[in-house]
Amino acid sequence: MTETRALVERLPNDIGGVKSAPIQQVEHELLPWEKRCHALADVLDFHKIINTEEKRRGVEALGAEMVNALSYYERWIVAFANILFQRRVLTPTEVARKMDEVAARSDDTSPVAKA
Amino acid sequence: MHESNEHGHPHAEISHTERPGYYEIMETAVRELLVEKQLIGAGEIRRQIEVLDSRTPALGAKIVARAWLDPDFKARLLENGRAGCEELGISFYDDTGLIVLENTEKVHNLIVCTLCSCYPRPVLGLPPDWYKLKPYRSRAVSEPRAVLAEFGTIIPDDVEIRVSDSTSMVRYLVLPRRPEGTEGFTEEQLAALVTRDAMIGVIPANSPAAENAP
Repeated sequence: MTETRALVERLPNDIGGVKSAPIQQVEHELLPWEKRCHALADVLDFHKIINTEEKRRGVEALGAEMVNALSYYERWIVAFANILFQRRVLTPTEVARKMDEVAARSDDTSPVAKA
Repeated sequence: MHESNEHGHPHAEISHTERPGYYEIMETAVRELLVEKQLIGAGEIRRQIEVLDSRTPALGAKIVARAWLDPDFKARLLENGRAGCEELGISFYDDTGLIVLENTEKVHNLIVCTLCSCYPRPVLGLPPDWYKLKPYRSRAVSEPRAVLAEFGTIIPDDVEIRVSDSTSMVRYLVLPRRPEGTEGFTEEQLAALVTRDAMIGVIPANSPAAENAP
């Protein structure tokens, strides 16, 4: 059995039965953006733009290194962007420009924003 | 069900004081572009957040308590989980199916999603982090007794453990065994004994003695 055989037989998400650590019963209240990201996933599913299985495959397609390094909802939003690029719904340039705009806007408003 | 008192006020102060991070900015950018292109509606995300917030384990507990009290309902629920929930006015906001798994003297059920984090969200809300992390996903299917022991649950060797692996289209809910000493309990009293973790299958329903302990 070669070292690479396991890579062929198991994609990053396919971990059922693999040896692993004791369970730490961790949980956290979702951050507002994480909850928005979850709602976005549901809305994309309702509109048949990205369904649950496509989302899962999109996360898997990030590769083991990114899957391990990013948090749960970080993986989701990157997967959504990639799928939307592949479908030509959005372009990387559009998203980059919009991200600059969002960042600049939050810099402008955060010191004066009040609850 | 009555309104919770502590969570009626907004917590907006926190979210405005910190600069959004890279992924939060990405989420906002993708969402706004999709709205600009009229692929999704501006109010849809907010409405879906309200739906998500409305789904808690209290819904699952109501289903379990009703099944304990009403054998005919239980039979219908085990036949078609989704239809049983809808009978109690619990709608499914997605197109997933639901299979309800009954624990008995001889069978203990446990649910997992080895590939990701599929979970009966319409009746339990969002899953805890541990359900989505590698140790639970990988070990639940191969060494469920050891996993259950880590939750403090010891299943006798003559009880079969069945582990059900969820998919994007089929989700599971465990119907725990009704605790001893609950004869004459109302539906509300029974529902109070049913926790999220009992409906995942990692612990039994609470016993009334434990519930009353100081």
